[in-house]
Amino acid sequence: MNSSVEKRKAYLLFRWKTYGVGYLFMLPWIVGFLSFVLFPVGWSLYNSFNKVSITSDGFQYHWVGFENYYRMLFENNEYPILLITYFQEMLLMIPLILIFAFFVALLLNQKFPARGFMRTVFFLPVIFATGQVLMELFRQGSGELPFMEQYRVEDVVDLYFGGSVAEAIVSVLSKAVIILWYSGVQILIFLAGFQTISRTLYEAIRVDGASPWESFWKITYPAMIPFIGLNAVYTIVDLFTYPFNPVLKVVQDNMFKATTGYGYASAMAWLYFGLVLVCIGAALGLTYRASGMGGGRR
Amino acid sequence: MKPERTARRLEGLRTAGRMPNRMALQLKRLAIGQNVNDGWIAKIVILLVLTVIAFLYVRPIIDMISTSLKSLEDLIDPVVGVIPRHVDPQNFIDAWNGLVYPQSFASTLTIALFGSAFQVFSCAITGYALARLQFPGKNVFFFLTIVTFLVPPQITIVPLYMIYQQLGWLHTPFVFLVPALLGQGLRGALFVIIFRQFFLSQPKALEEAARMDGASAFRLFFRIMLPLASASCLVVFLFSFIWYWNMYYEATLFLSKGFTPLSIRLSALEMQLIGNQSLTFGADAGKDPIAEGPKMAAAFLIILPPLIVYMIAQRWFTEGIERSGMVE
Repeated sequence: MNSSVEKRKAYLLFRWKTYGVGYLFMLPWIVGFLSFVLFPVGWSLYNSFNKVSITSDGFQYHWVGFENYYRMLFENNEYPILLITYFQEMLLMIPLILIFAFFVALLLNQKFPARGFMRTVFFLPVIFATGQVLMELFRQGSGELPFMEQYRVEDVVDLYFGGSVAEAIVSVLSKAVIILWYSGVQILIFLAGFQTISRTLYEAIRVDGASPWESFWKITYPAMIPFIGLNAVYTIVDLFTYPFNPVLKVVQDNMFKATTGYGYASAMAWLYFGLVLVCIGAALGLTYRASGMGGGRR
Repeated sequence: MKPERTARRLEGLRTAGRMPNRMALQLKRLAIGQNVNDGWIAKIVILLVLTVIAFLYVRPIIDMISTSLKSLEDLIDPVVGVIPRHVDPQNFIDAWNGLVYPQSFASTLTIALFGSAFQVFSCAITGYALARLQFPGKNVFFFLTIVTFLVPPQITIVPLYMIYQQLGWLHTPFVFLVPALLGQGLRGALFVIIFRQFFLSQPKALEEAARMDGASAFRLFFRIMLPLASASCLVVFLFSFIWYWNMYYEATLFLSKGFTPLSIRLSALEMQLIGNQSLTFGADAGKDPIAEGPKMAAAFLIILPPLIVYMIAQRWFTEGIERSGMVE
């Protein structure tokens, strides 16, 4: 009896020693998470249910429940409209960025002269795209596609599509450079993904008489689905947390406005965050299904 | 290559009736290739497409350099194209002084260098724990890591400001270095995921062998696992360095005075230039030639150091990405 208790004790001690090492390795992250993520996030969520006013001795809270959300959605109808247009635009941009990055990565993965040089050029966006130096370049107009004005692309699109479709297309075209510059990391991830596909697979399928077209759809594409999912999530996060985006700018403006205040701005940010999470969930769900109901690699 | 050739020959025999002569076959093989990517035609097409896209990437940079070297007359004169009539260093002198370059360079370098070094360290140990160590709640921690990546900075920035103010860290590098050391730096979650994937891919036998020899978990990690992950470390370091270097949004709030990085100085310089402008020219200061030169020069001065770092590390970087933990 006594010995079995001791045995159990010894076993627990042993378990805790191994667990302890794990927790010790996690410790910095846990401390950081509690103080720099969980606490601020919780605070801002609390704020979104309050009317926050700044007085001389700090913040004054006044609990209002869902009033901030209600006001934002039904009284001030600018914000929902802004959200809808922004999400529409992003839903167009994200697939375009993914397709562009996939295409470029596919080309960069081939063997051709000056490959090293090309790769260097195509990794440049990784350096610039986060900075506000790039914003500077956009503002100067050197970011625009050179043929847009020259060939009056806008008029042509308007002629063939008309209405809101044309508007969407033109706005995407005018953002073509953003698509270009925001696919740096995505190209990298795809390139890394291509390296995981074994060459023998391609050789095998070729011996079986498949054309390159078929081997792309039968081997390359299925093997890349997890990476497409990863890239989709990365792109969504990158575009939606981008500090210069119009929604977040409105949030920022409301933070220091007297009529709305920080609580209201927090509620705005939380609604936005919720929508982004829905987007990410949708992207992950699609990847999961495409990779064969979880039978894939993830 | 040999089985391919025999396969080709067999196929040739089968279609003997339509078989072209040897020369033509060889030419065709050279042009189109057996694979999608061996033929010359395919190579030229790939190169062409990539060159066009590469041009779109490089153009803004060329524009930036050429604008920064132009004198005011050259900028106003529409006849002058990309190449300035004479190289004018005045823009660079203005930008150098406007940015307070040596001082803000030092600030930016401190944040970028230490921040990324700390991130490599903290994200590596976190990634290792999540990949290899056993403890209850591991999946919850991994899930939370992903969640931290998704939180928009706007949600946390004001509470963080209050925290830093209470701690007295505002306008000091601590606001970035301490979170970096605790695994919550700029896009830290992404780096944790990279390290986790790398450590997951290593063979288990390695650790077991070391354990047998009586190495502790720490020894094992620092002596064996971390050196193995050097490619991932480099990738993370470079990404982190560049993202810290370019960081703007957080810096505007936390480092607006005193310890000022380059990106903040740039917007200050811009304000100053546009401010002067609006007195003389009125609206549409965005494309103003007087402001444009120094602004572009300043932008170039800011981009130059990471560009040099990238040029040096470029080879290991691309190889490291292909080989290391960016994968899955």
